Amino acid sequence: MTLSTARPGTFLVVDDSALHHQMYRLIFSKGSLAGSTLYHAMNGREGYALLAAHPELTVVLLDLNMPEMNGLEFLARRQAEKLHPHIPIVLVTTESTPDDEARGRTAGAWDYLRKPFQPADVARLVERLQAERAPAA
Amino acid sequence: MDNDHAFAELIQEYIAESLPLAEAVSDAFLALERRWQEGDAAAGEVVELKGTLHTLKGNSAMMGLRPMQVVAHALEDLAARVAADERARTEAESALLVEGAGLLIDLIGAAADAQSGSGEAEEFVARVRRRLEADAAPAVPLRLERRRAERRPDGAPDAGTVRVDFRRLDTLLEIFGEAMIEQSALTEVYRRLAARIGSSAEVTDLDRVVVSLRATMKRLESALMQTRLLPISTVFNRFPRAVRDLARDEQKQVRLVIEGGDTLLDKTILDRLGEPLVHLVSNAVVHGVESEAERLRAGKPAEAVLSLRATALADRVVISVSDDGRGLETERILAKARALGLEPASPTPADVHGLIFVPGFSTAEQVSHVAGRGVGLDAAAAAIHDLGGGIEVASEAGRGTRFTLSVPLTLAIVRSLIVEVDRERYAVPLSHVAETVRVEPGALHEINRQGVVMWRGSAIHVADGGRLLGTGTTRTAPRNYFVVLFAGPRHRGLLVDRLVGHQDVVVKGLDPTLGRPDVVSGATILGDGRVACILDAAGIVAQREAA
Repeated sequence: MTLSTARPGTFLVVDDSALHHQMYRLIFSKGSLAGSTLYHAMNGREGYALLAAHPELTVVLLDLNMPEMNGLEFLARRQAEKLHPHIPIVLVTTESTPDDEARGRTAGAWDYLRKPFQPADVARLVERLQAERAPAA
Repeated sequence: MDNDHAFAELIQEYIAESLPLAEAVSDAFLALERRWQEGDAAAGEVVELKGTLHTLKGNSAMMGLRPMQVVAHALEDLAARVAADERARTEAESALLVEGAGLLIDLIGAAADAQSGSGEAEEFVARVRRRLEADAAPAVPLRLERRRAERRPDGAPDAGTVRVDFRRLDTLLEIFGEAMIEQSALTEVYRRLAARIGSSAEVTDLDRVVVSLRATMKRLESALMQTRLLPISTVFNRFPRAVRDLARDEQKQVRLVIEGGDTLLDKTILDRLGEPLVHLVSNAVVHGVESEAERLRAGKPAEAVLSLRATALADRVVISVSDDGRGLETERILAKARALGLEPASPTPADVHGLIFVPGFSTAEQVSHVAGRGVGLDAAAAAIHDLGGGIEVASEAGRGTRFTLSVPLTLAIVRSLIVEVDRERYAVPLSHVAETVRVEPGALHEINRQGVVMWRGSAIHVADGGRLLGTGTTRTAPRNYFVVLFAGPRHRGLLVDRLVGHQDVVVKGLDPTLGRPDVVSGATILGDGRVACILDAAGIVAQREAA
């Protein structure tokens, strides 16, 4: 594993799988991301409320397939309401088609995380997003 | 699994989340297969399953569990084909879907063990790929919507549901039981008071309170019971897959028909009903249903029908397990019984068939095939009797066999007849009382040192209540009545001094240090505060066989 220079931050995970929340808990408790604050939502609706309440979020990790507002619906609403547009949202998918990705980009996803992923993939992604935001900060 | 994997420590969480999903997939594919066999080629559930399979694939991939990942992926592709193309809805596809879902359950269940099952998974995937190539038609696959949200509108059926630890419901029931005892104590005091001071405005008022309290307690009881009930489908649901697998092993064709899955039963009873039912169902497939060749020779359809039905009666649930197989062989059962020194109450098929429940009968290995039934029926019957239930069998040679189980809705409260023997009171569950009869002079006879009495035109054995319950040496009153107890087709009379009345009694368990007396199943507290034993009617009836 290459050493990541990602920094701990405040993250929101929106996923309907309890297993995935446990995985993120492991990822954000080790290595360069250790010490991060993690918020959990089991569906898009809950996630949206948490996004509204936390303008300090570093990154939102948003699952594509969920009941109660899926990832694309989440993005569409966020774009329409211009809710904290400075917070990057990453769409988490399993083998998404180019078509899915294009729709996600149009709807305002900053990046993609494809399952299956390893802790190092998440660290690299966070590092990249933190670097992108740094000049503006 | 690979212990070095980043998420290895989450293996139990993986199993906990994925197993129910795989089971839901399996149930849906089985339902699909059944409908296709019946000629209905719809494939609606496949659309919904797409999301579930996708989650299973994603979970497995994240955990680095490749066998599960590839099987879920193959099922996803096959399901997509089936949804898109009606021509791909044949037995070959449904068999693969069902098999794959079963494989997925097995793999996930064993996920905590060392990496295994990859050979089986690859082999299955290869077969699915071949099938998909064979199916390859110019049809364009439908784009499946993955949004489960649309099927679960906001606030729909889960709204207002809370999960409660079942022990809390037990505590509530226990407290209710105390209240019921106090209520009957109050009624008792009221009666004595009314008898002493006669009618007065206060007695009339008290009477009103006592009557309305009784009605309220009834309502409370039924509301409490409602909270303990679960649909019997929670037990029935395990059978589609079990029957399918067993039939395949036996190289038989068996169609399982389930009716009344929404019938409600107390959870405590459901928990104890599974095992006897598994026994009856597997016996039916293995021993009741003939081989395909034998069925065709007998002019029957090659496919056997096994049905599982539940029906709710006022305070009982009746469950039947019936097959259209070879039926019980009356002559052979009779011969076997005589070899074991057993004699049926009468040579009618009903009495002869009833012998298969006698302890020891069906444990004889060679009975299994000749009688068309397997071993251990006595154990199943005993489990049902322990629940305060009954089991009966009806069978016709060449036409099939039907087992009928009847169990109480609950174990907590028993409608009872209170009787008195040598000044002690006992509760006899009404579910096992056929009749109470006044003893006429000269009605009792003794044959082989056993009491016998004529009842409804035939002789039945009677037991003296005092001798049975260990108070016989202090006989103080004449036995004025006999209570006819029954369990299944068998009857036995119980001589008692007095009939006190009917009462709903709250069952209290016996202290384990008392062991498990043959004739007593529990205890209760009566209105006057006295402890009364609840008689195990089925046990008393069964004792005759041992005598």
